[in-house]
Amino acid sequence: MNSENASIIKPESESLKGSSGDYEIIKITDLRKAFGTNQVLRGFNLSLYKGENVVILGKSGSGKSILIKCVVGLIKYDSGSLKVYGKEIKDLSQSELDDLRVKIGFVFQSSALYDSMTVRKNLEFPLRRHNLHFTAKDIEDKVKNTLQDVGLLHAIDLMPSELSGGMRKRVGLARALVLNPDIVLYDEPTTGLDPMTSKEITNLMLKTQEKYNTSSIIISHDMDCAKRTSNRLAVLSEGICHAVGKYSELEKSKDEVVNSFFL
Amino acid sequence: MSQKKSLNLATFLPKGMHAFFEEVGGTSRFAARFFREIWFPPYEFKEVIRQSFEIGYKSLPLVGITSFIIGLVLTLQSRPTLAEFGAESWLPAMVGVSILREIGPVITALICAGKVGSSIGAELGSMKVTEQIDAMEVSGTNPFKYIVVSRIVATTLMIPLLVIIGDAISLYGSYLAININDKVTMTLYFQQVFEKVEFSDVIPSVIKSFFFGFCIGLIGTYKGYNSKKGTEGVGQSANSSVVVSSLLIFILDLLAVQITGFFGYI
Repeated sequence: MNSENASIIKPESESLKGSSGDYEIIKITDLRKAFGTNQVLRGFNLSLYKGENVVILGKSGSGKSILIKCVVGLIKYDSGSLKVYGKEIKDLSQSELDDLRVKIGFVFQSSALYDSMTVRKNLEFPLRRHNLHFTAKDIEDKVKNTLQDVGLLHAIDLMPSELSGGMRKRVGLARALVLNPDIVLYDEPTTGLDPMTSKEITNLMLKTQEKYNTSSIIISHDMDCAKRTSNRLAVLSEGICHAVGKYSELEKSKDEVVNSFFL
Repeated sequence: MSQKKSLNLATFLPKGMHAFFEEVGGTSRFAARFFREIWFPPYEFKEVIRQSFEIGYKSLPLVGITSFIIGLVLTLQSRPTLAEFGAESWLPAMVGVSILREIGPVITALICAGKVGSSIGAELGSMKVTEQIDAMEVSGTNPFKYIVVSRIVATTLMIPLLVIIGDAISLYGSYLAININDKVTMTLYFQQVFEKVEFSDVIPSVIKSFFFGFCIGLIGTYKGYNSKKGTEGVGQSANSSVVVSSLLIFILDLLAVQITGFFGYI
């Protein structure tokens, strides 16, 4: 473990294991990423165990979104190791990366719905684009079932411009779940929503996590969402994993950085 | 060490010049990537057809109306001058050659640079800032192929078609303008036009319109795909797509004239 990452609460290697087992599905070791002279990640360490939800807290611009984009290969990291199911992301070919992406759902901060497509087409897109050879009937069923799960079956033929912010987040979540992934990465799922809708989205995340049996990394500033969804919290500060632990543990921390999130 | 030297060299350039060379380099790399990716599967035929419909069919009314007015006005404006020399009978041939060789392709390309170029720049810019391009990538799609290659192919194929249709409509406008003062049948009008028009007038102008189409698609997608600074960047992408592609159309036209002149077609 990198000495920089010696956690105030618990070192990553000693932190809690996933509730349903010890199988490490994502292992990030000494991850570094810079944009020009701006060193965003300076040796980040974290593991995600099967069946658990890790919430990553950090200031705006601290590199949280960069981190999860590295996990799906959207951004290439400079050095260190990032293994998903034991496979080093930067060593994967494009087709191997595409195969791995089938197992990872990504909920974007801005929902990232395709403006020119209806909700149905948005959900059909990943089903048709990955070489999974679904029949038209399979696709229709999967789209309808997933929309039913997020409570938006009635909006199937609407355009994204006709949806409210909360509905867009739900469709974004449905699109991430439509391939039945093992891992879901949430990039600030409740940002920009009113408290009521935030609560609904958090409930929906918990419900779908249970139903789809997913493991998740959740980037969030919403402490209510963090409290309810996390098995562990990780604090990203100065490009390293500053602290890792349960919500109840970090809540009592005397560390200034950790404490600032709970005020 | 050598990198350090080249960085020092770059700092000697004025800021505007530095940005200009960066843009030229960026656009060239983008074009090179297009030529690398177009040959290999998966081929996005459906998207090319969809984009061809959006770019070609939906631009047809604007190109049609503009071309009709250009043909009409050019004829009405040229008539008095030719009448002074008693050369009114040359009017169809003169207008025909002007439209087919120069005015048709350039005006159509400029209209498309405004309509299609800005729309591509804004659409891709908006897709970039709202992470739709990233979403596409995690959905097992090569976004460069799906949104860039398909659009460049569509503009390269559709602009020449629009030019040909626009030329025909312009000539019809010219025929109507001639009939305001004189009585000329359509057969006689077109006979007079094509007596003076040769393949060497039509072929180079069709060839250059492929390049105009490529340039509109390339600049629009490059500006949109590399859009920055949030929503402000979307506006900038749309605006600079139009400005740069319009300028490039004139530069390409100038080159086309030089090349056709070199081969003795002027």
